[in-house]
Amino acid sequence: MILTGPEIDAAVSDGRLRITPYDPGQVNPNSYNVRLGDTLLTYTEPIIDAHRPNPTRVHRIDAAGFVLQPGELYLGHTEEQVGSDVFVPLLFGRSSVGRLGLFVEITAPIGDVGFHGQWTLMLSSIRPLRVYPGMRIGQIMFFLSVGLIDPYRGKYQASEGPQPSRLWRDAQSVGAPT
Amino acid sequence: MILTGPAIAAAVAAGEIVIHPFDEERLSPNTYDWRLGEHLRVCEQALDAAEPADFPEIVMPPQGFVLEPGVLYLGHTLERTASERYAQLLNGDRTIGSLGIWVHVSAPLGHTGHAIRWTLEIRAARPVRVYPGMTFGKLVFLQTFGASASYQDLGRKYTQSAGIDVSRLYKEIGRRP
Repeated sequence: MILTGPEIDAAVSDGRLRITPYDPGQVNPNSYNVRLGDTLLTYTEPIIDAHRPNPTRVHRIDAAGFVLQPGELYLGHTEEQVGSDVFVPLLFGRSSVGRLGLFVEITAPIGDVGFHGQWTLMLSSIRPLRVYPGMRIGQIMFFLSVGLIDPYRGKYQASEGPQPSRLWRDAQSVGAPT
Repeated sequence: MILTGPAIAAAVAAGEIVIHPFDEERLSPNTYDWRLGEHLRVCEQALDAAEPADFPEIVMPPQGFVLEPGVLYLGHTLERTASERYAQLLNGDRTIGSLGIWVHVSAPLGHTGHAIRWTLEIRAARPVRVYPGMTFGKLVFLQTFGASASYQDLGRKYTQSAGIDVSRLYKEIGRRP
């Protein structure tokens, strides 16, 4: 089951859900709107290698905005730290943002119970699009879980700012070809 | 929890879900199979989240329309759907995905209280011809947990959409300095 807005608000009040900073004005009937943080990363090598750490460049989005170009992948982040030790979060874009042709995640909407931190956004735009820091870019929904909870202890815990892929760490641990 | 096809039919009969037009034949084991409406808006320009955008609207002829990669299309569902009780998730179906068509841009959620023809955000991986009225995707209904809130009561932007809604995000963003 998906949480209603009033239940999201109640869960923030009693600690089942942590959203920092929290603004009741960002609660929807079935989700919470999250804002775009001001830091973006792009990969600098022409070919991204899934089995190696990939160098990145930092871009700041200032008040005048930043134009996302089609064909480029930008890693952004939510301003808010969002997480729960009880509910399963899913992050998607907002319809207003989708209608501007901007993907905020790439087939990876689902978060883990027990993850707390800023969420990395995978920004990919169909058309050139100017975006602004603090704009409400995405929404996180929360689902009830069934069964014992073994909370997240993974490699992106307590993230601040955008996180490039760390798959290479897993690749090293299993001796994958590099 | 996700409603089964028979549960969707029962909810339609009970008035808890509105799907118009409704055709029982379009019920799947756990979704309703929706169709593509005939209007499309075509965006080939650069956009600014702080500025209103207007795209030309076309009506797809019965012989179809070719979607091109790199272009953003806003379309709409043929059906209007509403529920004050269930949240909804709209997605493509396997046929549409296999044709390389996205039906939304990472925004599948329909809030409780929506009463809309859904605006679709369409993108194609390859040139592909589509036809008005064709089956295009699946609509899931989700049970909610907690006291309900309706989109209708919040004065939100897209409560009663009948056609294609362009983004009104610019209303939330201050003008550029």
